[in-house]
Amino acid sequence: MLLNLIIAGLVLGSIYGLIALGYSLIYKASGLMSFVQGDIMTVGAYLGLTFYHILKLPFAVSFLLSILCAFFLGMLLEKGVIRKLLNKNVMPIYVVLATIAISYIIQNALMLGYGSITLFYPSVFNVTSVKVWAANIQPEALLCLGTSLVAMVLLHFFMTKTKLGTAMRAAAMDSVAAESCGINVSLSTGITWGLSAGLAAIAGMLLGPMYGVFPILGATIGRKGFSGAVVGGYGNMYGSILGGILLGLLETLVAGYVSSVYKNLFAYIILLIFLFLKPTGIFNERAIQDV
Amino acid sequence: MDLPNRPKKNRTLLNISLAAVALLIPLLAGGQEYTLLLFCIIEVYIIAVSGLDIVFGYCGQISLGHAAFYAIGAYGTAILHNTFGLPILLTMILSASLAALIGALLAYPASKLVFHFLSLSTIAFGEIVYQFLIHSPGGITKNFNGLFTQRFSIFGYVFRTNAAWYYFGLICVAVFLGAKYYLVNSKTGRAFTAIRENTHAANGMGINVRKYKVMAFATSAFYTAFAGAMYIHLASYVHPDTFTQRQSVLFLTMLLFGGSGSLLGPIFGVVSVELLIESLRAFQDYQVLIYGVLMLIVIVALPGGLYGGFRDIAILGKGFLKNHSRHRLDKGRE
Repeated sequence: MLLNLIIAGLVLGSIYGLIALGYSLIYKASGLMSFVQGDIMTVGAYLGLTFYHILKLPFAVSFLLSILCAFFLGMLLEKGVIRKLLNKNVMPIYVVLATIAISYIIQNALMLGYGSITLFYPSVFNVTSVKVWAANIQPEALLCLGTSLVAMVLLHFFMTKTKLGTAMRAAAMDSVAAESCGINVSLSTGITWGLSAGLAAIAGMLLGPMYGVFPILGATIGRKGFSGAVVGGYGNMYGSILGGILLGLLETLVAGYVSSVYKNLFAYIILLIFLFLKPTGIFNERAIQDV
Repeated sequence: MDLPNRPKKNRTLLNISLAAVALLIPLLAGGQEYTLLLFCIIEVYIIAVSGLDIVFGYCGQISLGHAAFYAIGAYGTAILHNTFGLPILLTMILSASLAALIGALLAYPASKLVFHFLSLSTIAFGEIVYQFLIHSPGGITKNFNGLFTQRFSIFGYVFRTNAAWYYFGLICVAVFLGAKYYLVNSKTGRAFTAIRENTHAANGMGINVRKYKVMAFATSAFYTAFAGAMYIHLASYVHPDTFTQRQSVLFLTMLLFGGSGSLLGPIFGVVSVELLIESLRAFQDYQVLIYGVLMLIVIVALPGGLYGGFRDIAILGKGFLKNHSRHRLDKGRE
């Protein structure tokens, strides 16, 4: 029981972690909050379903293709809408509302395109369950854990060891200084949004085989991802991963031992507690407070 | 911003003609109950959005969770009336006061958070209230079944037609907009505006920022909750799905569509957005899609809202260049 719950919690947590990681990257790069992250995750899941189930491509190929598509979707979003609004110097609330409007558009468009019923992936593996110690685990759950771990480690190396990653971090830290060093800040901000969208698509592709896909799949997970990001320290890459995993674990344990009715309530109460008592999160990311 | 202490003949004339149109609507609508119902809902939304305007337009604090206050007002009045048999008007005021108290309790710790994080905390608050509505202890909200109310009556007078309800709503709108007018022109209102323009400067001038932020939230919650209470007595039934985050976004869209920080802005916004949504009813499946696209177009093309847009046109037309203070203030808010 406990082992099963812990693995289920880690799986859910890694999904939250991927979403929260996207929020943090975007916040660091543009100081904005995106409300589309969850819906891009849904798009990723639907894209994966299209490539894998309808076009019958191998899972790995459809996985990479949907990440690629989401990457360009994220960049398009930044270049086409967000950048335009920022150039107009509008109040920040308009950027928030614009992302909410895009999330409505995505949800409704997906519903029109695929219908509002839950669609299921054909199983990725031949076996239905794998024995880990004493627990029977869906092989897709292990795939989810493994892949998100690999994605996070790859992102870490990309951000710290490659030239582009370093440039992106510099642009996020101080855009004027980075610009004067010859870094293309506009491009790197776009890439950051693209990367976040790609991470969301990974989450969607991993969650799809387990939960099935429906148009508002990402809406709740997107909101809970905020909770994970705040718990870890909004804007901190490692913090959001840890926060997401912690949230997933706690939520699953609450659902398992207390009551599944209060599962959703729990995530939001945690979010409020952290915002009020420790807005800087576990990793003590720069405090963002008013007077 | 609209500074109403600048008396103007045009404005009085505009107000009088607006009031006359408002009074005549039931006659103009004739016997069409549905059209009248639409106007009743518009009245409800005007109060709710005016409430949001106090906290957003005047005090500069964002809320993406006002649907929660709307819910507290609606469920509060129905539960108080159904369980304890208190007079309806009293329960409406009681539930709105409860919402104001909850708003103050939320705003007290939230007042130190800036923009994005304040919006997150209000989203979380909205979700918590929604979760409570669908999984209430003891089933007092009847969960997913929704809640019914008895026929609406005040002091023994039973409201049987939408026209009667419409005039009740009109009185409420007049009272609440009047109160808002006095509030924003009082010392408190000026403190709100100071906080919106520059929190640090306001603090330096001896304004107790936290106190006024809490006051703005509480007042705003009272308005929106009262609107919620009106809504449940108009519809005689509510379902928890009326109170999701989408409702909060709708309030904000109406406010921004009309133009924030003014008395007339919310009216413009509510009427135009509500008529727009109503006209999209024919395209059922595409409704949200069209709504989202329009929202995006307005955001990208008309950031001052409709009221601001009309004003810009009026200003250009009349060469009223003195009047561009609104723009300056909007820019200062960023």
